[in-house]
Amino acid sequence: MRGWFGRLRPTVQRRLKIAVPYFLMGLGSLVVSALVSGPPNWGIWAPLAALFVLLEFFAVEVNDRMLQSASVMVAMTAGVILAMEPGSDAMFGMALMGALALFTPADFKERRWFQPLANFGQIVTAGAVAGFILDVNLEGIESSTGSLPLVLLVSAAAAFAYTTVQTLLVRHAVKTVFGRDNLEPWSQMPILFTGQVAMGLLGGLIGAAYLVADRNVILVFIVGVYAIGHMSLYAFSQLRESHIGSIRGFVKTLEAKDMYTRGHTERVAVFAQMIGEELGFTGTQLETVRWSALIHDLGKLAVPTELIRKRGRLDDSEYAEMKTHAHLVEEILAEVDFLQPMVEIASGHHSNFDGSGYGGRGHTDGHPPRLEACIVAVADAFDAMTSARSYRMALSQQYALAELRRHSGGQFHPEVVDAFERALNKTGRRWGAPHVNDEEMARRLAEEPELTLRG
Amino acid sequence: MARWSHRTLSIASWGFALLIAGVGALAATVTTTDPLQILIAVTALVVASMVGVAASNSGNRFTTGLAVAAAVPFVLGTGDDVDLAACIATYGLGEAIVWALRHSRGEDNRELLPTMVRRFVGYATYATVYTAFRVGPFAELSGDWADLLPFALALVAWIAVEVILRALLVLGKRELSRTYLARALLHDLNVFLGLAMTGALFGELWPSLKWWALPIALLPYSFAHLAFKRFQQTKATYKQTIRALARIPEVSGLGIDGHADRTTELASAVAKEIGLGPVQVEDVEYAGLMHDIGRVSLNEPQILRMGYSDNDIARWSSEIIAESPYLSRVADHVRHQYEPYRKPGEQTDPDVSVVSRIIKVAAAYDWQVHQDHLSPLQALENLHAGAAYEYDPEVVASLRRLLEARGVLTPVHA
Repeated sequence: MRGWFGRLRPTVQRRLKIAVPYFLMGLGSLVVSALVSGPPNWGIWAPLAALFVLLEFFAVEVNDRMLQSASVMVAMTAGVILAMEPGSDAMFGMALMGALALFTPADFKERRWFQPLANFGQIVTAGAVAGFILDVNLEGIESSTGSLPLVLLVSAAAAFAYTTVQTLLVRHAVKTVFGRDNLEPWSQMPILFTGQVAMGLLGGLIGAAYLVADRNVILVFIVGVYAIGHMSLYAFSQLRESHIGSIRGFVKTLEAKDMYTRGHTERVAVFAQMIGEELGFTGTQLETVRWSALIHDLGKLAVPTELIRKRGRLDDSEYAEMKTHAHLVEEILAEVDFLQPMVEIASGHHSNFDGSGYGGRGHTDGHPPRLEACIVAVADAFDAMTSARSYRMALSQQYALAELRRHSGGQFHPEVVDAFERALNKTGRRWGAPHVNDEEMARRLAEEPELTLRG
Repeated sequence: MARWSHRTLSIASWGFALLIAGVGALAATVTTTDPLQILIAVTALVVASMVGVAASNSGNRFTTGLAVAAAVPFVLGTGDDVDLAACIATYGLGEAIVWALRHSRGEDNRELLPTMVRRFVGYATYATVYTAFRVGPFAELSGDWADLLPFALALVAWIAVEVILRALLVLGKRELSRTYLARALLHDLNVFLGLAMTGALFGELWPSLKWWALPIALLPYSFAHLAFKRFQQTKATYKQTIRALARIPEVSGLGIDGHADRTTELASAVAKEIGLGPVQVEDVEYAGLMHDIGRVSLNEPQILRMGYSDNDIARWSSEIIAESPYLSRVADHVRHQYEPYRKPGEQTDPDVSVVSRIIKVAAAYDWQVHQDHLSPLQALENLHAGAAYEYDPEVVASLRRLLEARGVLTPVHA
């Protein structure tokens, strides 16, 4: 067994580790619910299941790794109706509904096997759990306005359970399969979670209303409500990450000017995020650090390329020119409200921890810069050392860390340097040149390329 | 109609408000519905119209009053009898109060009058069609569906009235074409339908659920409202970001200051004037802001040495924005912005979109006025001279109408 498993690519291995148990869990939930609960009222189940599958099929992307749909409303409507109708149960019906919603269009287009299997597991399990809650609490309850408060309460609990099971399972799958290099898959989570629970609650309430009103025409309007739910999610998902996408586009342009800095910004952003997480940053604070890292070099867009690419040191007038250009861009970006704090941080990344060095916008000489600016400074310096430059080869990670430690307390914030070292050790990845070298050797190697062949 | 004076407008506005208040009061005396019910309905309509503004994708503003209006024919009247008089009483009195409140807030009559006319006529059409079919041909249908068909027909009639009135009543918006206004509404039809459906759901649930129907109708509305509001905010921030990025070549001395902003403003006005839909107008805006972004490449020493053409700038610009997810859809428009609008011997060049043609004209005009310091009329004449080949004559003609309306064209003294 180990033999063939070990021969698979690591990405496939990670996927299998999720897909197989998730699929089995789904299958288990389906079997258990079939045994525990009775059949649903198929006449009601069928149209709602069709709607459920339809909404799942048109799920919208809410972040890099997650699709979401308004189907929780349908599931909860069906659950409440099935649980309250005499001679009908919700648990098996809800689980079976989930089993039908395996595929999204992208799965067909990209011939994915992992997503459908994992989704089967999480949707069926969530449906079974919610159905169980509804069955236990609503069985035999008379449908009248008097029972609506109870339905409201039970729906809230079931919707909460449904969403929680789904979110935890999806989150675990994404973490296992895609690792932590993903930037920002979860920043919208609280608001999306609340939205899903509220939608589920509404779905349950609609189900009860349908039973109380006892008129089929209501079903048509219910479809209208589902459509509104879908529309809302869709509006929410549009433009998502669009600013970050545009800024990234510009960063790529900037980096295309100089082959030595290609990928620099993205790496600095990853390092800054690592340090931030290590220092216990979360949510907005973490996001701010990452954004600051992404824009920390945007000022260079306005700097003449010959200055950026120049070998050797800039003379005073060139340095002044570079600063003026960079400053102009910072001024413009600071006009964008949400970018303003990031611009101040990014702009401060050239000033030193002890208060010396040239400070940009939002920095006064003699005072230590903000912690966030120190993070970007360390991330920037580390990447500058561990990647090749026009005047020298890449340095090794070991040397770069030693260098950071040497200037810790002077140029760099000691806590930030410590946190970065811990974070780097945790990932186990190594950056920079594979062999140990120092600044002087790296310069010599760059000037006399034939030396590298002896390495 | 567009040249109505303020005085005439004010009189018309007062006149219509009094008229619908009178119609409402008259209907209230005829109806058999409990006056208390009508009072509650009027209050709901006024509060919903003043408080709940539902934002939409393209900037149309619908209020939750729309949902209340949709619910009114369901709720007023008893059982199978629809009370049209009670509906008209609610709309007339409610809209007159909404008008009075807005008027006292100092809203412009050029906005207020068309809105009031549109809303009252739209509501009344809806209620009338609903009643006519409910008590007429569909009365014999079995219980459930007897509600649905009249509702569907009434909704269609309401939308038709809304589209027609939006296109007809363009007071004070001389720069917007009727086509644009009608298309903007159709673009936002989902919001309109969503609100109307919510109202009808409330109406259907009311007899059996009473006030429990309120949260059920309110929740979907609040989801939609929050989502659209967020969408609007994100979009505003996004535009701000793109604006800032567009200025990078300008502050770096690689383009003329304010060119991107002015070109965009002019181009989107032209786009609305010639009747493009909201989606295309937005394309024009993004393409306009980004049309010269490729100038950031102009500080490359090799490029300066080898020289470059306008087409190169267009290419670089489109390459840059092709990297940005939301902007990439306008990359092609930017790519073709400097190309002539037609191929030799042919009517047009299918590769050059109307968006590209508008950007081309607007950018050329702004460049001539602000870089070459020509007068607006001289610049326009140059564009006219190029209209045989370079510039799309329809776009140039639209620009002329726009500039005339803005009063910037002054005759050249020979």
